[in-house]
Amino acid sequence: MLIDNLKISIKNIKERKSRVALTLIGIAIGIMAIVALMSIGEGMQSAVTSELSSLSDTIIVTTGNIDINPMGGGFSGGAGRYFTQRDLDDINRIGGLESVNPIIFSYAYIEYNGEYQGVSLLGMEPESMSNIFGIDFLGLESGEFMQSGDQNKCIVGHNVAKEYFDTEIKVGNKIKLNGYNFFVNGIYKKQGAGFSTETDDYIHLSVRDFKKVTGQENISGILIRVSDVSQVEPIATEIEFAINENHGSDDFANVITMSSILESIQSVLSIISIFLVGIAAIALVVASIGIMNTMLTSVMERTHEIGVMKAIGARNFDVMIIFITEGILISIIGGGVGTVLGILGGQAFSVVSSSTAGPGIPIQPSVTIFTIILALGVALLVGIISSLYPARKAAKMSPIEAVRYE
Amino acid sequence: MNEDNFVIVAENINKTYGKGNSIVNALRDVNIEIKKGDYITIIGPSGSGKSTFMNIIGCLDKPTSGSLFIDSVDVSTLSDNRLAKIRREKIGFIFQKYNLLPTLTALENVSLSMSFAGVDYTTRMKKSQMLLDKVGLSHRLTHKPSEMSGGEQQRVAIARALSNNPSIILADEPTGNVDSKSGNKIMDILEEINNQGETVIVVTHDPNVAKRGKWTIRIHDGMVSPYAD
Repeated sequence: MLIDNLKISIKNIKERKSRVALTLIGIAIGIMAIVALMSIGEGMQSAVTSELSSLSDTIIVTTGNIDINPMGGGFSGGAGRYFTQRDLDDINRIGGLESVNPIIFSYAYIEYNGEYQGVSLLGMEPESMSNIFGIDFLGLESGEFMQSGDQNKCIVGHNVAKEYFDTEIKVGNKIKLNGYNFFVNGIYKKQGAGFSTETDDYIHLSVRDFKKVTGQENISGILIRVSDVSQVEPIATEIEFAINENHGSDDFANVITMSSILESIQSVLSIISIFLVGIAAIALVVASIGIMNTMLTSVMERTHEIGVMKAIGARNFDVMIIFITEGILISIIGGGVGTVLGILGGQAFSVVSSSTAGPGIPIQPSVTIFTIILALGVALLVGIISSLYPARKAAKMSPIEAVRYE
Repeated sequence: MNEDNFVIVAENINKTYGKGNSIVNALRDVNIEIKKGDYITIIGPSGSGKSTFMNIIGCLDKPTSGSLFIDSVDVSTLSDNRLAKIRREKIGFIFQKYNLLPTLTALENVSLSMSFAGVDYTTRMKKSQMLLDKVGLSHRLTHKPSEMSGGEQQRVAIARALSNNPSIILADEPTGNVDSKSGNKIMDILEEINNQGETVIVVTHDPNVAKRGKWTIRIHDGMVSPYAD
């Protein structure tokens, strides 16, 4: 019986190729949108997660209110508030820490080839520098990070190297910072959006050199790495409490962990995904109305046939199943086509976005088996729901009226 | 009355359409008994009620009042699905305009009502082939209705009508849309079916067709009377 239904449905669909094709396009577009958007969403999530999880043992402490971006504006923010040696001591007393690295921030004059420019300086231990800024999508364009204990060496941000002076700064060049000689050990890659603010227009030095050059040691941020990743959150809370107590304020310190950043990024991404999939769902509703319309027309056209089937003994249920099978067939084919198009669409998006938006976090759309099952499941559901009414209408026809209908 | 010998027993069947002043009495107090193995022709001008009568015997329609027994089962009060079961198991329809499904081949058309009856695929294909062979269409198994002549289509319809071993073959103007040669062939087949013990009822307005029955009844203004030339 099932095979017969399928046969009848396939034959009927073949009879009305162009109309079915149009209906099919509708459902395919809806499913395509869902698959593409879900795969891009998944891709964004996993890109962000994989990029940031290398920093999962890291806690960043800054002063004042900053935005979500871990480094953008972070260390330079918190106007006029600095951490004290006492804060560092208190943090050092907390157990389970791998390292505690103060980050200091200031400005200096840079002299290169006889030209002078103002530049932002960031002081940090070389080891943490390579840990934080050495990750995949940051990293160096040329040269290498400094070794611990290196002196008079610096890493130059991309913009500083390429745009500040008439002649480009290259690895191995000499520059002067507030009159002190420095050897250019490495040049950062261009970051574009995201982490840009802490590298593109910066020169990174060791803490010791920073103090020498600026005479300052105001700590704008502290970078802490823990030995046990699972302890990140409790330690972060402890640090926040200790520093806030030192300064007698509830919000002096901003303690950021990668997992908290991940969470907020992911929650934003989820909202975006839900919104986009919601739009796709509207497309699907329209498509399902299309199927319903096609099926209703088909029922009208085949009134006579329905009557004949009933006259030769089809039950209402048999007639209903024939039409529902047809609706499901259309929607499943549409769903299959849409899924393939959605996968291709997601890939196309990643190619286009990476070529127009420039380097950043590369998004590789990921199509999970869940996405495919969901897409086909939704297609199936749409097929059933939208053919239910036409099928019922067909089933309820009086055989005698239907046979008479020409 | 011993109903066991009768395939069809109609008792005081009335059928009215419409309401109030515009009421139409399509059938009035029809009483009829049809024995197993009979070959009956029903004749009457158009509008006489013969189609209504045929629809009621065929369980496509229900009488307004009165009872209809098919194989001793009172079908006048059955639900839609029970009626569908009666149509599937007891009645084989042959329509004036063949009413084959245009998208299906001859073989599939014949096997369709068996599929509604739940007969398995191989059995039904075998039987459909046998039936098409019986009506002389073994060379048309995979042809669609549009690829066959009217006479051939009607023979497919006869094969379809026979597929579920019905108690009654009900033919409504079976020769109405075909030429006289094909018409004769169709009537020969119906006669042969009757000779094999099948009850055959043919509705027609053609006296030549009516003559081929063992007996003929006449419907006029919704009333049944014996037919005489």
